[in-house]
Formats: sequence, structure tokens, C-alpha cells
Amino acid sequence: MSKNKELETINGKPLHPGVEELCAQYEGGKMDRREFVRLAAFLGVSAASAYAFAGDPLGGTLVKEAAAQTPKQGGSLRLAMQVQEMVDPATFDWTQKSNQTRHIIEYMTITGTDNITRPYLAESWEASDDLKTWTFKLRQGVKWSNGDDFNADDVVFNFTRWLNPATGSSNIGLFSAMTETVGDVTKMREGAVEKIDDHTVRLHLNSAVLSMPENLYNYPTAIVHRNFEKDGGDFSKNPIGTGAFELAEFNVGERCTLRRRSEPYWGGEVYLDEIRYIDTGEDDSAAIAALASGQVDAIYRLGIPTLEIAERIPNVVISQAVTAQTGCIRMNVNHAPFDNLKVRQAMVLAADNEENLKLAHRGMGAVGENHHVGEVHPEYAKLPPLKRDVDAAKALLAEAGFPNGIQVTCNVGNTEGSWEQDSVQVLKQQVAGAGIDITINVMPSAQYWEVWDKAPFSLTSWTHRPLGTMVLSLAYRAGVPWNESGYNNPEFDKALDKAESLLDVEERRVAMETVEKILQDDAIMVQPFFRSVFTATASKVMGYSSHPTRYHQFNGVWLA
Amino acid sequence: MLIFMFRRFGTMVLTMVVVSILVFLLLEINVESVAIKVLGPYTSVEQRNLWLERNGYFDPAILRYLRWLGNFVIGDFGSSVRFKVPVSDVLWPRLANTGILGGIALFLASLIGLTLGVIAGMREGGPRDRGVSVSAILTTSVPEFASATFLLSFFVFHLGWLPGTSGMADGFDLRQLVLPVMVLVIYDWGYIARMTRASMAEVMTTHYIRTAVLKGLPYGQVIRRHAMRNALIAPFTVIMLQINWLLSGVIVVEVAFGYKGFGALLYEASLNQDIYLIEACAMVAVFVAVMTQTLADVGYTYLNPRIRFS
Repeated sequence: MSKNKELETINGKPLHPGVEELCAQYEGGKMDRREFVRLAAFLGVSAASAYAFAGDPLGGTLVKEAAAQTPKQGGSLRLAMQVQEMVDPATFDWTQKSNQTRHIIEYMTITGTDNITRPYLAESWEASDDLKTWTFKLRQGVKWSNGDDFNADDVVFNFTRWLNPATGSSNIGLFSAMTETVGDVTKMREGAVEKIDDHTVRLHLNSAVLSMPENLYNYPTAIVHRNFEKDGGDFSKNPIGTGAFELAEFNVGERCTLRRRSEPYWGGEVYLDEIRYIDTGEDDSAAIAALASGQVDAIYRLGIPTLEIAERIPNVVISQAVTAQTGCIRMNVNHAPFDNLKVRQAMVLAADNEENLKLAHRGMGAVGENHHVGEVHPEYAKLPPLKRDVDAAKALLAEAGFPNGIQVTCNVGNTEGSWEQDSVQVLKQQVAGAGIDITINVMPSAQYWEVWDKAPFSLTSWTHRPLGTMVLSLAYRAGVPWNESGYNNPEFDKALDKAESLLDVEERRVAMETVEKILQDDAIMVQPFFRSVFTATASKVMGYSSHPTRYHQFNGVWLA
Repeated sequence: MLIFMFRRFGTMVLTMVVVSILVFLLLEINVESVAIKVLGPYTSVEQRNLWLERNGYFDPAILRYLRWLGNFVIGDFGSSVRFKVPVSDVLWPRLANTGILGGIALFLASLIGLTLGVIAGMREGGPRDRGVSVSAILTTSVPEFASATFLLSFFVFHLGWLPGTSGMADGFDLRQLVLPVMVLVIYDWGYIARMTRASMAEVMTTHYIRTAVLKGLPYGQVIRRHAMRNALIAPFTVIMLQINWLLSGVIVVEVAFGYKGFGALLYEASLNQDIYLIEACAMVAVFVAVMTQTLADVGYTYLNPRIRFS
């Protein structure tokens, strides 16, 4: 009898789809036995059977008969999520809005739950050697819900619209290599987007950009119909899309219902008849209560404080996504005492990131290495592990001219949850022994975003980005708007330039080692951990797994 | 009586005007911050100025206030930043929902509070009085967020009897009202009961009750005819006060159960700095507060035989 037969879930419910992948990762040597058992248990596998499996990693795949069932057609998937306005997809500023429209309008590319970006409305792409010219071949045979063909005009229209300052889209920053600034106004450079033929579009950039495909799956980059503006410019009133679903009902703040389109979908078979978003308000525990009483089948977000409650609900599966979402406790190098490298090194040296992850985030995530690149990034290069040394930290402080220690204030806005405050609290305890006395200044999140890039010392939450280079470019290059630590190191910029010019992941990894090392040595932040994010679904929801940025992808989801 | 009424309503209008000035000063006087709230923090100064000019924000403050007040009076509250629809489209349905929740809760709390209050007050210091008083103090001391969590864990997570949220996603469902109403009633009945009890106990010590008992009237008749009629005047004011509390005090309950009411709307508007929605909610809440107070005063005057205008 093969091992997979012995794998059981705690409540006898079908195995979570993520288990299969977990098993593959374990067999591929990508995680150790302990980690495997922990994550498997998390996905509802009983600890005993997970240990039995892990005892013999060659024992076959984890696909249980139930999980290998043929998908069933039909049914309505109900989700608890805030239902927000969705007037203009180009100006979306919340992931929730993009989830509401994600199955109606689609993206050029798609980044999967495995953090890999694949072709979508674009069938393929090609970049020039200098990464300044990108050519996208568009998929043929895709039809808009009004009967029109999807073609290059749609893509050109969208780029032109995103990069028009009057639109007010944040995409203007995302595609800054296609813009020029005249006077005070930043707008699209003439000829930056070129229609080659009906199904080919070429983008001309003024600097190398590696992450073009990833950028095209950012939440405000959904492709709307070329007549979007002519038709009134209000998506909720005129929801034309290429996706498998159409908008059936929309009541802002209450519910948003999508119904499967009757005509065949270009992307193949879709199982659900209906996707219903039900707004349960601002309180995450209301969503859990809705799940517990069977009012919804899935929830948008499961935070660390409510995780334990969800674990106890019968017939509920918790799914975890390993992400690059993180909290950086960064020091601004332009403010005393952090202008002194030795002070920053002392802070980093006295911190224990592994312990911080355990205490502030229940060990759910990956230990940070103070350079903002994580294992989930394809080009991550492993550096020697960090070691805590409180005595050395103390000595460094004395060398820096603070033999009696320092007193500093750290701002925290709990913008992504109370784990932020916990993380700073743990750091406070850790560095106290080295003579660093941290006063924690907790502020409301809206207020935090007013000071986040100005404060000398604070924890800022950064979201997941598929490539390691993306966030480094946004946050640590000299003079960029989001450089909250005031970091300015030409050597780092040069090393990052080099890494960003390499399309080949293995080559890029070699270059990233230098980038990561420079950033780590300059000690501008304690970055305790990359946090996992969670969602919970009823066990009848099949084929669903958590996305690192909470993007919903339900085309393969079905209800048992 | 008419003069009294006029005076009361005059005070009411004056209060509203003062509050409207305060709301305007707090939220609208700094035009730059209005533009940031409406257009978002990432807009350029140029975009904001254009918007401000188009919407008359560079006019003198007094002119802006009068225009703003005029719009309010005719029910034009502007457009919600978060919902991108006119404020009145979301405000009125939400207010009606809170009316339903608050109405049922108020009815039940009054029924229970008055009944138990009368029973407790009939014999001050008796076992019934002690029982009612202690339980009233106990239940009103538990904050709503605590009882909401407790009831949720018991009826939803443990027993699985009731729905966990009350968003009415599939239309009106009475079962979804059970828990929020229960939380409100548990918190509220005690106030009414204790006020009624105190009032009742006071009446029971009066000479006319003693006389009624001594002249041989049946006890029930003494309570119904003589004691209750007088004892129920004071609780009337308390009940009217509860309407005000039910409107803005239900925030906790509405958020905990995802109920689509006025309180949850105000909470969401505040969290997201939805300026015009906050203004409208604030003005509506104040209007209801002042209105119920005025009605309470007028009603009290009407009910109390010791106050008469001739």
C-alpha cells in the first residue's frame, strides 16, 4: 500500500489541493522535514500521517483519491470581502476592487500562486537584449462580452489611458520608463507604445525594465475595452470584459455577484456558475463568523489573531501563501543617531529575526535577512546566516560614541495588522541588552502613512512583489520617491542595475548576491521576517489556494 | 403650550446651526485637506487646485458655509469618495436598516425593562427587587463588544444555531437579527428597568398609594390604576434617550455582525476619511439627537399632570 493512502486529514475531509505541491517541494528537497510537517498540518493533514509520509519521502505522491476527483460543474462560490466601488479599473487602490472585476476583465499576464508569471491575454512576449524594447503577441480569438474582438487597439488604448495624467492612475509610476516629464507634468512619451499589427504591440522604454510581465499583473492594469471612455468611463455601469464571468448584480458596500457567461470562454472550462462577494464590513471576525455559520464559503483574509479561531471550525480548510510581504523596521540614514553606520550595525547585531518571527507571527513565514529579498523570489541568493551578538553590539555602540546606550522612538502604524506592533515589541526586548532603549509610538494607520517616509525610525509594511529586484528599485535606489530610509549608495545602485539587466534567473542570482550583501552590510533595516498570508475556505471548495497578494483566481475552482 | 413648543423647536434649530458650523470648521475649513481626502494623497498639487477651483473652494469661507448649509437643507450631501455614489443613495437605506434594528431592540428592551422595573419597584428591597436590580447591573456592565463575542462564540461557533453575520445578503432574514438585537437588549434593558424601578418604588411610598391600599382596593388595581400611571412618566424620558444611543451607539454591534446600518456606515466613513459621508452622518446623528430630546421634553410635559399650560 502506498504512502499516500495513509495520508489523512484531521476531520476526514478531502485533502487540500496545496498538499500535493507541498509534497512535491518536500520531495524536491526544498524544505526540511519539520517544515513539511508543520505546513502539512496547517493544510489540515493529520500530524501522524504527515510524519508517516515525511519518514519516507519517496513514498509516492500525496494525491488522495478524493483530491483527484473530476471537477464538478455548477454552484455558487460565496466570499466574504468588502464590496467597493469599481468605477475605473485604472485607478483601483485596493486589491478588493480588482478581485471584484478580476473574472470580468483580464490582464496581459498572470502571476500564479506559485509566484511565476505566465502569458494570459498576451500569448507570448520578447524582450530586446537591453530590456528596453518589449514585444507582446496578443492572444487571438478572444472576444469581448459585447462581441468585439480583443486586439492591439485595446492594449494601446489602455497604456495611453494609464499614462495620461488626467486619468489619475498609479500605473504612471509603474511604467515610468514609458513617460517623460515636461514642466510639472509627467505623461506618456510620444511613441512609447506602438501597434505593430492587430495582435502585436511593442513598448519602447527609456531604461531597462526587467519586470514588465510582472507589472502587467498589478491590480490596476486590467485591460478594459477600447471604448471604455466613450461608453461612459464607469465600469460598474458598463462592465464589458473578456473574462469568463459577467456582472450580474452590484450594490456597493453590500454585494457583487458575477455570473458565468453563456458563450464559451477562451481560457477553457470554468466550473462555477456564480461568484458572490458579500460585504461583511471592516471587522475580520465577522467574516470568520459568516464562514463558521455557512453563510459564505471563503473569506478574503485571515489574520494571525483570528487564525486560531478558524483552526477550530470544523470543515474549514486554512490555506497559507508564502509571500514576500514583510515589515521593515528601517532606520533613516539622514537622521542622528542612524547616520552612524555603527549604531545601525549595533541594532541589527542585537536583533534575532528568527525569534521575532516565532513571537510576532507564530512562526508563520520565513526569516528575514535584512536585505528585503526572500526565498520566494526567483533570484534570491542565500547569504551566510546572521548571528546575534549582544556584546559586539554594545561594543559597536561604544565605538560610535554611545557607551551609555541610546534612546530612540520607533513609529508603528499597524497598517497590515497588530503583528507589526508585536514585531517592534520583540525587537525592543532584544536590543535592550545592548543599551538600545526603544520607545514604541503606535499611531493610527492613516496617520502613519503621513509620516512613513519622513520618520527617523519606523516599521513599514511592504507588499509582495514577484521579483526581488522590484522592491529594491522602488525603495532603496538613491532619490526614488519611496526611499524611506534615505539610503544612497552608488555602489548598490550599480550592482542593482546589473542584476536588473539580466533576464536569465541563474545569472541574476549571482548578481543579486552582491546586491543583497551591500544592503545587508549597510544595515539600514532590521527586517525580521517575510510573513505568510492566510485564507480559509469551506472544505467543499476545491482547487483554491492562497495567492501571495490575495488576488482571486477562480477559473479552476469548483465545489464538491 | 404653543409658545413652549415654539421655544423648544427654536432651541433645536439653533443647536443644529451651531453644530453645522462646528462640522464645517472641523472638516471643510482647510481646503487643501478636503482635496487630499477627495482626490487621494498621491495627486499632484496642480490636480488638487484644479479640483478646488472647479468646486468653488477658493470662495470666502462664509460663502462656502452658506452654500454648504443650503445644500444640506435640501438634502444634497455631495458624493461619497469611497462609494462613488451620491451620499444620500447610501445614507437613507442604511438609516432605515438601523431603524429596523434599533426599533426592535428598543421595543423589546422597553417591554422587558418596564415590566421587570415595575415588578421590582412594587416591593422595594424584596427578593424580586434584588433579583432584577442585580441582573440589571450585571448585564448593563458588560460592554457590547464583549457580549457580542460571547454570544457569537456560543450560538454560532459552539451550537451552530444562528447565522454569524447579519448582512442580509439574500434579502431580509429575521434570524440574522436575533444576535444583534440580543446584544442591544442585554445592554439596554437594565437602564430602563432601574429607572422604572426607582420611579415605581418612589410612587409606592406616596400617601395616595397608602390611602388606596388602606381603603381596601385590590392590590392589582392599586398598582395598575394608581402606581403605574405615575411611575411610567420618568422612564419615558429614558426611553427617548435610548433612541439617540441606538443610532450612533450601535456602531459596535453593527460592525461585529456586519449589519448594514448607519453605525457601520459612519465607522467605515471615518476609517476611510470619506469626508462628505462623515459630514452627512454627523448632521443626521445630531438631528436625531436634538429631535428626540425635543420630543421627549414635549412628551414629558404632556404626560406629567403637574405641568400644565393654561
